[in-house]
Parts: sequence; structure tokens; C-alpha cells
Amino acid sequence: MSNLLDTNEGAHYLYMGNDAIVRGALEGGVSVAAGYPGTPSSEIIEQLARISDRRSLYVEWATNEKIATEIAAAASFAGLRSICTMKQNGVHVASDFLLHLTGTGVRGGMVVVVCEDPGALSSQNEADARYFAKMLEVPLLEPGDFQEAKDMMKWALELSEELKTFVIFRSVTRMSHASGNVVIGELPENEPRAYFQYKGPLLDFLTGPMVTGPGVVAYARTVQQGRLKRAVSLFEQSRFNIYAGPERPELLIITSSACYLYSKEAIHTLNLGDRVGLLKLGTTWPLPEGLVRKHLAAAQKVLVVEEPQDFMEENIKILAADAAGEVGVKTFYGKKSGHVPTSGELNPDIIMNTLKGILGIQYEPVPQEYATKAFQSMFKSPGRELTFCPGCPHRASFLSLHNALALDNRDGFVCGDVGCYGIGVLPAGFSTVKTNFSMGSGLGLATGFGKLTKFGMNQPVVAVCGDSTFFHAVMPALVDAVHHQSDVTLVVLDNSGTAMTGFQPHPGLAVDAMGETAPSIDIEAVCRAIGADVASSDPFDVERTEKTLLGMLKKKGAKVVILRQICALSPEKRGKKKYQMSVREDVCIGENCGCNRMCTRILRCPGIYWDTARKVSRIDEVICAGCGVCASVCPSGAIQKAEVA
Amino acid sequence: MDEKKHLGQKELNERVKHARLCTGCGACVNLCPYQRAYEDKVLAIFPCDLDVGRCYAFCPRTPVDLEALRGLLFDPQDLTPEVGAVKGFYVTRSRNTKERSRAQHGGTVTALMSLALKEGIIDTAVMADRGGTFLPEAVTENDSRKVAMHGKSSFVVSPNVAEFNRLAKGSSEKIGAVATPCQALAYAKMRMKPIPERDNNIDKLKLVVGLFCGWALSWERLMDLLAAKTELAAITGLDIPPSRYQAMHIYTTNGTIEVPIDEVNRCIRGACHYCFDMTAEFSDISVGSARLSEGWEEARGWNQVIVRTDLGLELVELARKKRRLEFREVPEGNLQRLKAASLNKKGMALKNLKLRTHSQDDLIYLNKEDPAFKNLIKGG
Repeated sequence: MSNLLDTNEGAHYLYMGNDAIVRGALEGGVSVAAGYPGTPSSEIIEQLARISDRRSLYVEWATNEKIATEIAAAASFAGLRSICTMKQNGVHVASDFLLHLTGTGVRGGMVVVVCEDPGALSSQNEADARYFAKMLEVPLLEPGDFQEAKDMMKWALELSEELKTFVIFRSVTRMSHASGNVVIGELPENEPRAYFQYKGPLLDFLTGPMVTGPGVVAYARTVQQGRLKRAVSLFEQSRFNIYAGPERPELLIITSSACYLYSKEAIHTLNLGDRVGLLKLGTTWPLPEGLVRKHLAAAQKVLVVEEPQDFMEENIKILAADAAGEVGVKTFYGKKSGHVPTSGELNPDIIMNTLKGILGIQYEPVPQEYATKAFQSMFKSPGRELTFCPGCPHRASFLSLHNALALDNRDGFVCGDVGCYGIGVLPAGFSTVKTNFSMGSGLGLATGFGKLTKFGMNQPVVAVCGDSTFFHAVMPALVDAVHHQSDVTLVVLDNSGTAMTGFQPHPGLAVDAMGETAPSIDIEAVCRAIGADVASSDPFDVERTEKTLLGMLKKKGAKVVILRQICALSPEKRGKKKYQMSVREDVCIGENCGCNRMCTRILRCPGIYWDTARKVSRIDEVICAGCGVCASVCPSGAIQKAEVA
Repeated sequence: MDEKKHLGQKELNERVKHARLCTGCGACVNLCPYQRAYEDKVLAIFPCDLDVGRCYAFCPRTPVDLEALRGLLFDPQDLTPEVGAVKGFYVTRSRNTKERSRAQHGGTVTALMSLALKEGIIDTAVMADRGGTFLPEAVTENDSRKVAMHGKSSFVVSPNVAEFNRLAKGSSEKIGAVATPCQALAYAKMRMKPIPERDNNIDKLKLVVGLFCGWALSWERLMDLLAAKTELAAITGLDIPPSRYQAMHIYTTNGTIEVPIDEVNRCIRGACHYCFDMTAEFSDISVGSARLSEGWEEARGWNQVIVRTDLGLELVELARKKRRLEFREVPEGNLQRLKAASLNKKGMALKNLKLRTHSQDDLIYLNKEDPAFKNLIKGG
């Protein structure tokens, strides 16, 4: 962390991609940064927050991505340089504001940093946010390695300020979360002053009010399109667009971002350096048309390598069609032709297979025998399904939810939301979750279901959300539910932090991103103020929680049950057991009638295992978190808990 | 019928719960974490994959050899085909007027349970409490003076056997249970110890006082019915006089509301149409409402009592000796009328079972060769 502030210009450091982005932002003179946590973007705000006091930064975890973008824009309007960060779907949340922001443009440099997750390794979607650049008519930059991540971030701030439009900076998991060598540059010593000028005339976005409206939209768009034209001319000369390969390659690969590294490795491994040319673009919207035309003219076959969607491929084809007279007709390979997968993450092996297909070359990355063996051994390893951690409050919460819905006996169900509790769809959550969409959609959907009684629907509807999600997008849905008297129960699984992304603080906590004391917003009081019937319980008190939920399911209108218990992995709790758990072998009835392995067959906490030889359950001392829930579900009292002093 | 005598939760669900034969007695509840009782329903909240379970073995609606149960519990000389074993037949009421006022009828059950507790015949009583919303709850009582708190009926089943199952795991040693006919049958099946190694501590059950029962009502439907007639808070009691009035009486603070029996019939729990037992034949003592020549206003203050076992006789005689029960002469023909009503219920049950199976031979859980049914079946 400390080397992020190193002033030793020219020093080499191994930086994770997100650290390189942070360093680039610092070198670019960023003053304000805001974001909403989301893999793989979260480390950028975390790192900036940690050094905020030493660089005079303002850094915040905003309530949601739209607000993060507004925080950054305000700084820009007041003349500061700013960034906002989010994962791919965050752009969809922020997009309404961003659309309007193109109407005025910005003043201080402002960069929207989007870290995408091709292959959805930590996501429920595989969105390609690059389309926003084209749709909103703003420049798009994509670094192709770690040095570029740093350098390009600095340039993005400068570019934004020069063009007076925000810039989208797009990274991907293998860029943000992989590490590489970075040579650091100069850290500016500036103490910028913030002041919002608004006394100038309307439509003068440098000194006047920052507003757009009917009658001026056409003008504002013309201005923005002019900025984009300037971008094209700058991009033609950009050092982030590079070509390597023969003058007249047999095949031209056009690529960007992490796919540049995959393509480079594939060309190297297949020893195709003299046959294949590699054009890496860092400025992917608007395209540097002249540069692309020049390279198209030199090759007959063109392969576009990108993930997850065919954004560049389409744009290059349009460009090629326009320039057909000049560059000739090309044969394109890519997603459309079926040579590159249209979903999921790419890797060097995939690109090698693509090149083999196009160029008709023989190459086996691994001997066939080995590949077959490796494939077969996949089925020999023990099956492990996604589950909650030992001691996770969600397991207990979902057990009570399951039982309450089962006893209520009206085919009730849970609308899930975005967080670890999405696992509620699986046996780990007793398969109670039946819908799961975007942040806050759980209660939105549930509110809709809750209004269908008019059409004979009598199924009780429950929505679950985490504490951070509650603030992010659930509050408006709760207002809707209360105001429209929807018959719905919201269960807030309050584990005191944005747990899934690494315990970033949120408005419900008494601390902000920079570690300063902050007023916490009381979820219970908010729900009461909105007008919901509110109850709360400790999910580890299984009996009480079930009773509370059952009571709420019976009631009409919008109800809220807050189930509060800190995440088992939280820094406060980690490694500290409340109870020392043990199993009395003589009492455990195991597979017999009366239990049939309730703890290992139904509860399935990884902290308990079934001893097949002795036919009893046992506690795995190493991973048991000592929450005590298994003791309260054991029908024979065999699982015992002793308070740890 | 299945080759195998005892099966598990899967079959219990298929053949009883989903077949809508579940009486809600609670016999399958509190044996394991998977069968639960809520309101007047019993539900399987998680699947159990055991082939053989006590839930199936104890259920009063899984196949049963009633002759074996009678052999275990009663003196063969006392057995009648119409109402089971009869050692004695009485008309009684509690001598305590307070007890009577809190009881459904004459307070005989209250007096007997209270006495059994006081005399140490039992240390714990399992009974039903009407609860605040006519949803009875199974309650446990150790104090003989408090038994009277639980005297009223709302015609909805409470899972009393579940409470016994819970209690039997604990420190109670001598348990007495008030039971509907289905619950008494469940206790009898438990006493057979069908799964000997997991006997559910049934030996702790010392006394079963059965209740006459024509049927139970579905709680949800009853609530809808009552809510349509009056303010729920104004209701002080419910009754169905055993006469030709053919109505349910809702006693309220503003007087009595009569509900035509047809409306009440629509609330009957479906499973009750397949029940053969009106007088709780598998009890030590069975108690129900009385019929007297003076009419219902007098009769509702009394009970008719069938004593079936030696223990039952001992307790009733002790109640006479200790002046806990008042006896009056049994009107001529009362036992015959009771037998006729009981036979009528048996006949209806058999008819309904045959309608379900479309077969003369398949009575689902009953055996057509059983002496109690043989003649009825022959009779069509």
C-alpha cells in the first residue's frame, strides 16, 4: 500500500491492476473518488480511502453507483478532478445521470471507472458496458496491460478535462485482479481549490449553470459530438494504440484490454509472429478511424478478439464497409463467424484454438492423453456445492424462513437480491429463494406479487435484502410497498457490512470509507418512518425468529423483519467463537428415526460432518465458528454448546 | 395394502396427508425435526428418507389391526361391536359448580384429570386449551387445581399427541392424556411398540380420557363462519346440542346465535368423514355430552361416561368416593341410542372409504374382517 504514494519516480513495482489504476489517478491529480462496492472494482476506492488523509482526498463509498457518479460530477463542476468506480452492472444504475451529464459535459477531469467481470466469476450477469460509450457519445479507454492501466488512468483525467466530457475507463477481472510490473511517474503536488461557478450565461457550461432542458438538447448534443470528433483526432496519435507484426500480415488481429495479453501469448506460443499482425487498441470508442483503415488495408483476413460481446467487431465492420473502396473487402473472423466464443471469459488457449482454425495449423497445448485424464479426474473429486460459511447468519435466517413458509403452507416464496444470500436458491438456503435479479429488485418484485391478491394469488411473498442493499435500492421499493399496501414481508439480513465484497462500510454503520466516525442510519427507524410494521430478531435464536416470521406472514400490508447478526467473517468476529461446540456420541441418534441426520443432511453447515464409521455427527473444530445454531436444531440434544470465556 | 408393515414419512405424506386423511392428531409430531404442527394442520417441513418411521407407524390413519389393540388394552368380555369395551356406563357431572361453568358440559373430564393428578395416578396432564382465537393449543398441566382452565371446546383439533411426544422425552414419568378418538387410537398404536427399539417412552402414558367426537372443524373455515355471524370477541362458547335442533349454538355476551347445521357441515375437516370411532374406543374412560328427558338446558350440564378399563373404573369410583363426581341414574335406552349413533358413524365411514377406493374390499386403513365392521359391510 505504501508504495502507492512513492515519490521515487521511475521505480518499478509489482502492482495489481486496481493499484495501477489508483496510482494513475493519483498521478493524474484526482481529488475526489466515490464508488459502490462490486467485484472486481472494489479495491480502487478501498486503496484511495486508506491514503486519503495523506493526499488530501475525499473518498466515499456511496449509497449506490448513481450517487457515486453524482459525487464525482459535483467535484468536476467545482473544478476538481474526480473518478467514480463500479462494476459492469453499476453503469446501468448510474446511466440515467450519465445520460444527462453528456448534455452539459464536465469541467475538472472526470473518469467513470468500470471494472467488468467477463465470465461472471463474481457476478449474476455478463454485461458489456462499452456500449454505453457509443450510446452516450463519450470516449472509451481500455488499458492493455498494467503499465497502461496506470498511464492511461492519468491520461483519462487529462483527456476528460481537455475535451470537457467524462471518459469511461474500462477494466476487466484479469486486468483489475492480476498483477504486473509498473514503472511509476511523478506525483503532482497540487492543492486544488473547489469553487462552483454559475454566474455565467446559460449554455456556457464552463461558467454558467449546469443545466439542460427542452429546446437546448440539439445544441448540447452537437457540442458533445464535437468533443467526440476531437477525441478521434487525438486517438489517431495515441500511444495506447499499438501494432506489432509484419507489414502485410496473413491475418490481422484487432483486440483490446486483457484479450491483448491473451492474443500476444497465443501468437508467441504458436510462433506466428511473422504471419499474424496484432493491432491493440486502447481507445476503443470512438475508433481511431485512420489508424484502423491503414491496418485493414494491409491484411485480407481480420480477426477481432474481445470479451464479452462483439462491440469492436461491429464497429470495425461498419468502418470497413465505409472504407471498402479504399481498403478492399475483408474476411472477418470473430464472434459472428463463430471463431470466438460469444459468452464467457476468453484465455490464451481459446485464442490458440481460434488461430488454429483460421490458419489451419496443428498444435496441441497438452498431450491428448493428459487432457483426457484431466477431464476424467474432474468427476472423481468430491462434489462441493456453493454454501454459506460456517457460522453464517444467513443459514439460520433461511432455516427460519423455510420453516415459517412451510408451516404457513400457502406455497410462499422468497424474492432474493444481490448478496451472499442469493445462495438461498440452493439447498444451503433450503431452496427458499425463487427469484433473483438486480440490487433492490427483490422487494420490487415482491411488492408486485403482493398486489396480485386481486387476481386470486394467496401465496405469501417475502423479499430478502442485505443492509447495504437496503440503502442502495430497496428503500424506494419499500415506499412503494407501504404506499400501495402491498401484502409483502421484507426481511433485512443485516450482517453489519457489505460482506460479499469485503466489509466496505455503508450508511448503516458509524464509520465512513476513510475511517472517520459517521452518523449511522437506523434501518429499523427508516422502515418505521416509511410506515411499515417492523419487528427484529437475532437469527441465531431460531425459535423466536421463526415465530416472528410466521406472525408477519399472517399480517396484511407491508412488514419488515430485521434479522441482525454480524457476518461470521467480519473483522470483529473472525476467529472468535462464542461457543465451543461438541457432540455427545452416546446421545447422537444419527441416522435413526427421530433425527435422520438433521445437522448434516438438512442444516449442512460445513462445520459439522458425518462420521461414516462411527455413525455420529462431529464438529470440525478447525472451521466451526461457534454460532450454536446446530445445537438448537439437534432433536436429541446431542450437540452441546459451551460458552467460550 | 403394502407388503411391508411399516413405512416412512414419504408414504405417510402420500397416503395420509395428500390423501386428505390427516386428522391433525399430532402423533407424527415432535418425534423428529421434520413433522411439525401449525394451527390445526400437521406438515412435513423437510423430507425424511428413512424407509421405516414412527410417524407412519403411529398414525391413526395408516393400516391397523384393531383386534390386536383391543387384545392389548381391554377385557374381551367387555367388548361391544358398536362402542368398544364397556365396563360401565354413567351419567355424571363435577360436583364443583365453578369447574362446571368452565367446562363444555358437566366438567367430568376436568374432575377426573384433576383427581388423577391430585392422587398421583399421573404427574402431568396433556389437554387442549381453546386458545384466544378458537385455535386450541395442546397444554401441559401439573397442578390439579388448574385443570379447569382448559375445559372448553371449539370443535377444532389440537395436536395433543405432539405434546405427549415432547413431554415423554422429559422428566414426566406418569402422563395422563385427554384425547379425541383419533388421538386415543394413536396412543393405542404407540402402546403396541411397533418399532421396539424406538418406543417413544410410551410406558409413561398412564391414563387416556377420551372425548366423544362426531367430527372436528377446519379452523380456517370455522373462523370464516364465526366472523360472518358475530364479533369474535363476544363469543363465550360453542356447542352442538345432540338433539333434533340440528344447529350450532354460538354463545355470546349478547345471547345465543343458532347456525343451521348445514353451514357447520361445510366446515367439517374432510378427514373426519373417514373416521369410524365416535366414542374414543381406545381410552380408559370416554366422556361426552348427555341426553336427558328434561331437555338440553339440563342435559348440557351433564356428561355420559363409558368406563372401559380397570384403571378407568378405579378412577371413576375414586371420584365417587372422594365426592368429585355426582352421579345420576342413566335414562333408559341411553346406551342403545349411543350405540346406534356410533354405528351410524361407522357405517358412514365405511361407505365413504369404499367410495374413495371404488372397492368393497379396500378400506384404506381399516380391515373389513374386523368384528366391528363385518356386519356393517354385509349389511351394505
